[in-house]
Amino acid sequence: MNDNCDANINSTVQRLMAATVLLLTLFAPFSSAIQADIQLVKPEVATRSQQSLVKLFGVGAGQLDSYGTAVLITSEGHAVTVWNHLINTGYLTAVTADGQRFEVEVTGTDRSRDLAVIKLQTDSTDFPHVDWKQYASADPGDSVVALSNMFRVAAGNEPVSVVHGIMAAESKLDAGLGRWDLPVQNPVYLIDAITNNSGAAGGLLLSTNGELLGMLGREIRHRGTGVWVNYAVPWKELAPGIDRILKGESNDEDNSTETKSQPIDYRKLTSDFGLTLLPGFLKKTPAYIDRVIANSAADKAKLQRGDLIVMVDETVIQTVDDFRATFTGRRKGQRVSITVSRSGELFATTLIIP
Amino acid sequence: MLVRIFTALLLCHAASSALADDQLLKKQEARIQTIQRIAPSVVCVMPAGGQGGGSGVLISPDGFAISNFHVTSGSGNFMKCGLNDGKLYDAVIVGIDPTGDVALIKLLGRDDFPFCTPGNSDDVKVGDEVLALGNPFLLADDFSPTITYGIASGVHRYQYPADTFLEYTDCIQIDASINPGNSGGPLFDIQGRWIGINGRASFEKRGRINSGAAYAISVNQVLLFIDQLKSGRIVDHGRTEFTVGTADGKVEIQQVSELSDVWRRGMRSGDELISFAGRAITSANDFKNIMGIYPEGTRVPVTYRNDEGVHTVTTRLSPLHQFQKAPQLPTGPPQPEGPPPGEDPDRNPVLLDTKPQPPKQYEHLFEEKVGFTNFYFNQLGIGKYWTPALKAIDTSKSADARAWKLEVTASIKGIDYPGILSVAGTVAGIDAKGLPPAIQNAEQLSGESELPQLYGLLTGAMQWHRLAEQGQDGFSESIYIGSETLLPSRQKVQIIQTRSAGTTCRWGFTNQSRLPVSVDIQFSSGADEARIRFDEWHNELSIPAPRRIAIIDHEQEAPVWITIDAIEIGTMGSSKNGAGE
Repeated sequence: MNDNCDANINSTVQRLMAATVLLLTLFAPFSSAIQADIQLVKPEVATRSQQSLVKLFGVGAGQLDSYGTAVLITSEGHAVTVWNHLINTGYLTAVTADGQRFEVEVTGTDRSRDLAVIKLQTDSTDFPHVDWKQYASADPGDSVVALSNMFRVAAGNEPVSVVHGIMAAESKLDAGLGRWDLPVQNPVYLIDAITNNSGAAGGLLLSTNGELLGMLGREIRHRGTGVWVNYAVPWKELAPGIDRILKGESNDEDNSTETKSQPIDYRKLTSDFGLTLLPGFLKKTPAYIDRVIANSAADKAKLQRGDLIVMVDETVIQTVDDFRATFTGRRKGQRVSITVSRSGELFATTLIIP
Repeated sequence: MLVRIFTALLLCHAASSALADDQLLKKQEARIQTIQRIAPSVVCVMPAGGQGGGSGVLISPDGFAISNFHVTSGSGNFMKCGLNDGKLYDAVIVGIDPTGDVALIKLLGRDDFPFCTPGNSDDVKVGDEVLALGNPFLLADDFSPTITYGIASGVHRYQYPADTFLEYTDCIQIDASINPGNSGGPLFDIQGRWIGINGRASFEKRGRINSGAAYAISVNQVLLFIDQLKSGRIVDHGRTEFTVGTADGKVEIQQVSELSDVWRRGMRSGDELISFAGRAITSANDFKNIMGIYPEGTRVPVTYRNDEGVHTVTTRLSPLHQFQKAPQLPTGPPQPEGPPPGEDPDRNPVLLDTKPQPPKQYEHLFEEKVGFTNFYFNQLGIGKYWTPALKAIDTSKSADARAWKLEVTASIKGIDYPGILSVAGTVAGIDAKGLPPAIQNAEQLSGESELPQLYGLLTGAMQWHRLAEQGQDGFSESIYIGSETLLPSRQKVQIIQTRSAGTTCRWGFTNQSRLPVSVDIQFSSGADEARIRFDEWHNELSIPAPRRIAIIDHEQEAPVWITIDAIEIGTMGSSKNGAGE
């Protein structure tokens, strides 16, 4: 967005250019040529944008936070945020930049964009807001600014936190948390600022000039490395979704953010993992290990017959079906943390997906 | 085709950004120079035993350095400090502020230490570039600080205390990397001005490493405490004798102590708080945030509104914790100090050579006493401000029984009231034409015995008498407190607090005069203090005397001046008669 010459270039070449820019960053003094603007953040950009930021407070569960961020997009009080657990629980309060509190209703959601549009319950029509139809895109190497209610540092009318960073890549992202997978299939922005923080989801990613770039994503880990990923869904991706929701068209084929994939079957569990569970005759059969095959992945993880599996990564396991579901979409070589109860004591181990 | 596009891109890129390139290079060069300039003032603070450590920053050439309380807390009274010259210095603890998580130490062995220059942390704006210097993960074996670079993510932030102390009020939030070992290190603005002390971070699921949200104690808060810390005390923060809440977008007074000065001025529950210590208050959080930066004993203006209008009064902040000894660090919220778990403590051989015993030549620089961090430094303050005052007075000819008869003229609202002020060791009286006579007795000292128009004059005169006639013998205790800004004059004075026969006085000193410029005297709780000012000490009369005395009127927040025209030294009996006539 900072180079005039990157307009009208098709997406294949865009990738090449991204590579060029990355290449340039490696060789000084060219590295410093990337930014036309030498300020990391313009104070006026931060101050102006903060007026559109909303602090969300709702219901948390376990490790999931009870607070988040949203961005006002209309003067009537529509705002966009991530379609996460906060939205699903239904009890949501929004605090605007001037410290006013509002109840919130969900206008619509869009699973493939991990997007929710909410509406502050008021007749007011003078909310400061971003122009959601005006947005830019970012290339690797571009400076970016992220605003969010991370760690709930700001209360009431206090301005939300601002962090700075660099756009690192635009890429598809294979990430999730426990058995939940990020439903966004299209590329997202990966950034080097730490935005993967409590309450940051739904925050705003801007260029240094204040142009809309994207919406900060959830607290999720990369499936391959386990790293907490800092990402944002590009605004160019969000815009069509926002448009449809505001027009009252539903985008949602299903109303669940859980994946619909089939759980791993018993036979595969035995043949691949070397693990046989107590058969799930009852709906609520607990996940007891019935047998472990020698030298199997389960054996290497030191799992034993009689162990009760109580947790896989961040997910609490109550039944064999819960356990089977957590192995949906796992990749070979991925490390999975398993906690079992053995003779009344908890024992944590790591299983490597075979 | 692709090659052509690639080449075109490169050319286009280079051309369009040649200007920016130049600017950036200049900026980078300036940044490098700034870092070179400020890095020598950064201290690597380590306990003499050699486990863990943190950071600090030198503030004066004599070696005073600021760090975090949670860094020095486990380090003992003497510690080892590394500077970027690669040398290790001995250091001694001076004062601590557990509430604000600040500690003052003194590096030893030089009188020409490099030091930093403070900026104004209230001028920091969100988005301003910042530099954090310190020793994260105790990386530097040669003590050259690690530099991290970021922006101010938030200003005037509040971070809850861990337990009841380590409270970060009005602090600066930054996104520069802050990691274990950074604690106590300085935050600078991009011009190299010292704006804060990096002390804590929002640590969460990643463990005790940078999360993009760290907090620095504002330098303005630190500066308010430096003289207090130099007193070698366990320094306390202040609190008001009233509470506030936010209601209907207004900040409302909730409860007011009936024994407080603000109550006596007329503040009541339901009044609206408008400003505190000169800053507009828009929420209860605002109030809590701003109150947190002041030491106990600070006198601050408070503006509130009631049915009769807007009123500005002043109040002296009460002590918050009154720690008698340094509190134990809570195990609660993690702080970025010390090496991360698993770090090999043996990696720095210099530390292994040191024993946790104080160095012989510096042993005398630490003195333990209840209520103090290091009583040695309190004695330094006494020697600097109180001893010269006592020396200025010749008490050899004096006796407690000597009485003074002073011809005075009080000027109240433009009218002069000439009269006689009689002062002895335990009694004082005033008899002025046009004013009712009044007598104050030291054994039953009370605010009610003072003339309302000249409130505190009699008690103040008795304290002056005690100082001039008895010197040190007149006081059972004298402690150096630190500094205070007198109101309404805004004159900065150094405070010596004395006790005598149950009366607590705060004597104010400046470098201009060996004798005090002020004394504020506490009556029993529920009565206003006497606020006395002394102007122009001289020796032309038979005792050291000021040309004028002022009393600060609490209602008007303005001085009422009393000129001293003549003094006659007599016996106590004649003085008493004079006052009673």
